[in-house]
Amino acid sequence: MFWEFLRFEVRSRLRQPTVWLFTAVFALMAFGATTSDAIIIGGAAGNTAIDAPIVIAQMLGVLSVIGIIVVTAFVATSVIRDFEQRTYAPFFTSPIRKHALLLGRFFGSLAMAWLVFVGAAAGMLIGSKMPWLDPQRLVGTGLDAYAWALLALVMPNLLVMGAVFFAVGTLTRRVLFAYVAVAGFFVIYVVSQELISGLDNDVIAALADPFGLTAVAVDTRYWTVAERNSQLPSTGTLLVLNRALWLGIGAAALLWTQLRFRLAVPNESGRGRTDEVAAAPPVEVPLPKVHIASGWRVSMAQCRHQIRVELSGVLRSTAFGVIALFAALNTLGGMYASIDDMFGTPVYPVTSLMVRLIDGSIGLFALIVIVFYAGELTWKERRIGLAEVYDALPMPSWVPIVAKLVALWAAIAGILTVAVLCGVCVQLSRGWTHLDPLLYLQGVYVIALSQWMLVAALAIALQAVANHKYVGFLLMAGYFVLLQVLPLLDFERALYRYGSSPSAPYSDMNGYGHFTTGLAWYRLYWALAAVLLLVLAGLLWPRGTDQRLRLRLGRARANLRGPLLLAVLAIGAAFASVGGWIFYNTDVRNRFVPSDEAERLQVLYEERYAQYGGLPQPRITAVELHLELYPAERRADIRGTLTLVNRTASPIETLHVATFPDFDLRALTVPGASVTHQDDEVGYRILTLEGPLQPGASTTLEFDVGFAEPGFVERDSVTSIVFNGSFLHSTDFVPRIGYDRGGEIADPNERRKRGLPERVRMADLDDASARANTYISHEADWIDFAATIGTSTDQVAIAPGYLQREWTEGERRYFRYEMDAPILDFYAFLSARWNVARDRWNDVAIEVYHHPEHDMNVARMIEATQASLSYFTENFGPYQHRQVRIVEFPRYASFAQSFPNTIPYSESIGFIADLRDAEDVDYVFYVTAHEVAHQWWAHQVIGADVQGSTVMSETLSQYSALMVMEKSYGREQMRKFLAYELDRYLSGRGREIQRELPLIRVENQPYIHYNKGSLVMYALREYIGEETVNRVLAEYIRDAGFQQPPYTTARDLVERLRAVTPADRAYLIEDLFETITLYDNRTHRATARKLEDGRWEVEIDVETHKVRAADDGTEAEVPLSDLIDVGVFVEREVDGVTREVPLVLDRHRFESERETITMTSPERPIRAGVDPRVLLVDRNPEDNLRPVEFLD
Amino acid sequence: MTHALTIRELTKTYGNGVRALKGIDLDVPPGMFGLLGPNGAGKSTLMRTVATLQDPDHGSITLGGLDVLRDKDATRRVLGYLPQDFGVYPHLDPLSLLDHFAVLKGIADKGERKAMVEALLQRVNLWDVRRKRLGGFSGGMKQRFGIAQALLGAPRLVIVDEPTAGLDPEERTRFLNLLAEIGEQVVVVLSTHIVDDVADLCAQMAIIAGGEVLHRSEPRDAIDGLRGKTWRKVIDKADLAQHRERHTVISTRLVGGRTVIHIFDEHDPGHGFAEVDPDLEDVYFTTLRRAA
Repeated sequence: MFWEFLRFEVRSRLRQPTVWLFTAVFALMAFGATTSDAIIIGGAAGNTAIDAPIVIAQMLGVLSVIGIIVVTAFVATSVIRDFEQRTYAPFFTSPIRKHALLLGRFFGSLAMAWLVFVGAAAGMLIGSKMPWLDPQRLVGTGLDAYAWALLALVMPNLLVMGAVFFAVGTLTRRVLFAYVAVAGFFVIYVVSQELISGLDNDVIAALADPFGLTAVAVDTRYWTVAERNSQLPSTGTLLVLNRALWLGIGAAALLWTQLRFRLAVPNESGRGRTDEVAAAPPVEVPLPKVHIASGWRVSMAQCRHQIRVELSGVLRSTAFGVIALFAALNTLGGMYASIDDMFGTPVYPVTSLMVRLIDGSIGLFALIVIVFYAGELTWKERRIGLAEVYDALPMPSWVPIVAKLVALWAAIAGILTVAVLCGVCVQLSRGWTHLDPLLYLQGVYVIALSQWMLVAALAIALQAVANHKYVGFLLMAGYFVLLQVLPLLDFERALYRYGSSPSAPYSDMNGYGHFTTGLAWYRLYWALAAVLLLVLAGLLWPRGTDQRLRLRLGRARANLRGPLLLAVLAIGAAFASVGGWIFYNTDVRNRFVPSDEAERLQVLYEERYAQYGGLPQPRITAVELHLELYPAERRADIRGTLTLVNRTASPIETLHVATFPDFDLRALTVPGASVTHQDDEVGYRILTLEGPLQPGASTTLEFDVGFAEPGFVERDSVTSIVFNGSFLHSTDFVPRIGYDRGGEIADPNERRKRGLPERVRMADLDDASARANTYISHEADWIDFAATIGTSTDQVAIAPGYLQREWTEGERRYFRYEMDAPILDFYAFLSARWNVARDRWNDVAIEVYHHPEHDMNVARMIEATQASLSYFTENFGPYQHRQVRIVEFPRYASFAQSFPNTIPYSESIGFIADLRDAEDVDYVFYVTAHEVAHQWWAHQVIGADVQGSTVMSETLSQYSALMVMEKSYGREQMRKFLAYELDRYLSGRGREIQRELPLIRVENQPYIHYNKGSLVMYALREYIGEETVNRVLAEYIRDAGFQQPPYTTARDLVERLRAVTPADRAYLIEDLFETITLYDNRTHRATARKLEDGRWEVEIDVETHKVRAADDGTEAEVPLSDLIDVGVFVEREVDGVTREVPLVLDRHRFESERETITMTSPERPIRAGVDPRVLLVDRNPEDNLRPVEFLD
Repeated sequence: MTHALTIRELTKTYGNGVRALKGIDLDVPPGMFGLLGPNGAGKSTLMRTVATLQDPDHGSITLGGLDVLRDKDATRRVLGYLPQDFGVYPHLDPLSLLDHFAVLKGIADKGERKAMVEALLQRVNLWDVRRKRLGGFSGGMKQRFGIAQALLGAPRLVIVDEPTAGLDPEERTRFLNLLAEIGEQVVVVLSTHIVDDVADLCAQMAIIAGGEVLHRSEPRDAIDGLRGKTWRKVIDKADLAQHRERHTVISTRLVGGRTVIHIFDEHDPGHGFAEVDPDLEDVYFTTLRRAA
């Protein structure tokens, strides 16, 4: 019987085109994702192969998430169909058939969903064999990887989703509730994705993700490229647990359906049955005479009434209540998860953050609601059997369209309102009372809602045109895919991607700034398009009972005449005019550079001018600038004079100058020089000096550039000059001397594709010729600096140096800054309205320029600056300036950067950190200390332009910050901080796009010079002592500070450290700096026995491994003779709270793989094991310790 | 103020090649008009075409001076339509939904609307449950609601498809009375398979099958036409095939376990056949047999 139903289901499905359509679409998506970089699903990055097993697993796994559509279309509806099509009676004849019917239907339709994904896997497999793929990016993975992905991820996912949707759909007999379950799955998925950002939540996140993708991600997050390319992601225990959990849920859902399902004739909703009234005596009331009116006013009234009916249908339905609940959970989940912004430390729930989170968390959710509700609303009358009556009513076809659209809009507005209420609750629950209702209104109800309204109009229009619910869904899915794919196929203009507009990032300092103008024009443009779409929908509205497209087209042609035609033409003209106005702004008043074009220019730049790479050029020795900033007009005029000196031994005849396309170069003059080559396409000029510049002689280069961005642009709007919070970097506008390798394309895949030769990312560590320059600048060594900045009267302007004079001239306010000592060729300018907090450390003035509302952590920044200045001057050497200024800038970028005596600091990385909980990592303190440390490490000692030089700037700043932080916060917080550093380093390795290098050869790779750097320096300090390390650093600064070429390298630093490292731990320098060394330490058993003197004898059974990784990630074990801490965790009372703290008992030299060690603990141990503080890089630090078993 | 419905040369072929209407010509005067026909006869296509729900390939329909196919909106203002399958918004109650329909029908005056809605609810006996959710209604109650909405406004053309299915005898009577009352002034097309509905109510009728009008008359005349030509006999079931060979068997039915057949014959066939007083059902089946 079961087989009969199954066969019936399969046969009837296979006869419909839908199965084949879905199979084709998914196979094409998989094929496209494999064969072009344009479609990215999961996907390969950097050196991970296109067909690596993990990529196959991720891609098919992500497709299975999208497969939710397939499952809802096939499985969820397999029994509901009987009710909707009223064919239930013949099937429901005997109760014995119930189980067979349900299971047959379920597995029959599930088999169809599986079939679709076998098609997708085939699409990938075939795609990976295509001849045009770069063979270097393929590894020729076998069928086992596809089988693994299908069996471990895809099929269980479809089964679980199918079982739940089937249960919900079958038991409620309402397909809408199955959609609600779909939304539920997405909520769980999204929340689990967000949970994973916190280090402690990964197990919960891995288990909670119904699709198993998070489990795979957690299991494989520290995989190197080599592992990614060769191994099946099958080993993880998390995935096994996840699958067991969700398959259990699926089975339970099926069982529940079996138990609860009744073979009964449906009763619409099951509640509130009204009994037949007793036959009352007939009341022969005469029917009154009424008047039937027509015309515009009647239509309006009809529309109003229909809106009311649709609204009450949507808003009062249980389904909407459940959706709103999910929306609330989704938003709250997002808010609680994302509020842990850095190192697990939350930020204050400012309204702009809430708006951003609502926008992010409601996005996917609103789309689901729009797509599914559009289908439900459009076909509501058909579904309930009212369509014939409804269609024969005397109202124009626009009435139902408008009414349904408005109901859909109201549903989205309702969900956004739920999200806003959640935001307000989160704010209040965290004690944040500075609510900003206007920002909620602007960000949620204007900017976000208007976007969804456009999408909703499209969804309704597509439903009307398709005249079929699931085809309408598929068209919407196609629209979303196109939206993503078009830009990658070089169709990137928002002008032809429906609903697209420039983004409008919000900053507390600058609000929505100038971004709203462009956004408003694009929204207007698409709103007009939406009206046209709706007119089309009205013309093609399937009214009545015979609605073949040909007939509807014929009728549409017939109806498109008279005033309607005129209106359509008028709206079309308005649409075209607004489009024209947008084009005029983005392409005529400004320049639109397609991303491909930018890369093409990079290629040209390299091809034409790389030949001048090593050409001797004069050095910049002094800079004198005059900036006129007009923040309100977003305009700047900049004049400058560069003093150039020939430091080479031979005369220089030509001067090579690179200029910037965003800035309009009005003048570029060198006395006695003429322009002999001018390339405005890529921005390159060659000036020939009349008399060559003799060795030691100097000259000047004067330039005059202007910046303006009139009207609006579509993207990449310049954020360095804004209404409030301008931040200009010298490298943005000062003409550069000589050819700069930094302008070349770096991504090796992209270079291969464009036929460029292989490129060395950085000069070799021992390349002596590269030591002529620092890694910061190719044009200068140390320069004299002075600048005058004019800005609007309500703003303050800041540049490196000391303020000499401030004055007002008309409506302009001027500031003159001069630096009293030479600095690196690295400076910036800022202008905004700030409040200033001032303090001192000895004779150093400390100033924090902050947004008036961002005063929460200013005191911390000052404390951190004081602590830093104190530690660094004591341990490294004197501070070269008399002032430290921390200057806030808008969140268009989120970093802090150290310029001479000036530290621009993004509003997003500390000003709103919530540091009320003393347990949390104080990253404001850390970031501030790191930036202050740069005044020594970068602005005093700067490495040559070779591998490893960021060790001296970034790694040493990390070390310096760690030391200051440890003094203030203790070792316990360091352990927490370093756990994040370890996680970031290990996951960074897997994302490497070229190759991982040992620290000494780091090629500006953040996960190495920051995260591994912290671990390395902290471990080194633990093994050789803080005093020793600092002594070396102090000597190093004395010798290498403010040096002239040749510049120092990491080799110099490492040799100094080697010299002070005791012979018994000399291996450390090799392990930490010169190789990629990892440990796999674990404790198998830990036992303890109480001694008579009250102490504890602890015995641990430990296994240790040490491996070296090659730069492609392959690992080889190396013999070990290392000193590794052994110890215990004991319970201690700290500030009234019982806490586990590590106690290092011994530093043991491990000589063999497996050892049993006995040690004595003064306190009762809780856990015991090896490397308790995780000083060494270990991929599984959690198995270093074991709970202690007590032997009596 | 009363106009006839005139249908001329109406043809319709669906996308799948089915020829649903093959040149229908029909004059429907004001009053009740019965439309009889087996499943697949083209009844529903004809009704939907008249109800402005679909367009024919050729032909014309006029209601008085009104071109039904061209001026759909005007037609809809004077149309009352109750299709065979009729559903409702489950979350609304009869009062608000009927009021909603009244607005959509174009009854702009609030007072008129209220009076009309209340009168109709009383006439279809839904007054006591006017504030109960329609989702909980039985099939018969929904059908009564459907009747109420079809009579909203001031229809000049009422089309009802199988309206008495699901009604108990008392309801049926009341409904037919209601129809008869309005049927005095307007065109009411009643499509049904219950021959008695037509016999009881309709002054005029037509039988269609295979997309063609097979018969068009007044029921009384049609019945008279068969008088003296309809014969009845009780037979064994085993003999049915033999009788079918020899006679034009109009209908067979079981009465008390025995098979009763009616045959058509101009003359007394003898062999135990007795003359029977023909009814409309005999007319209907005779027409279909002759066409076959």
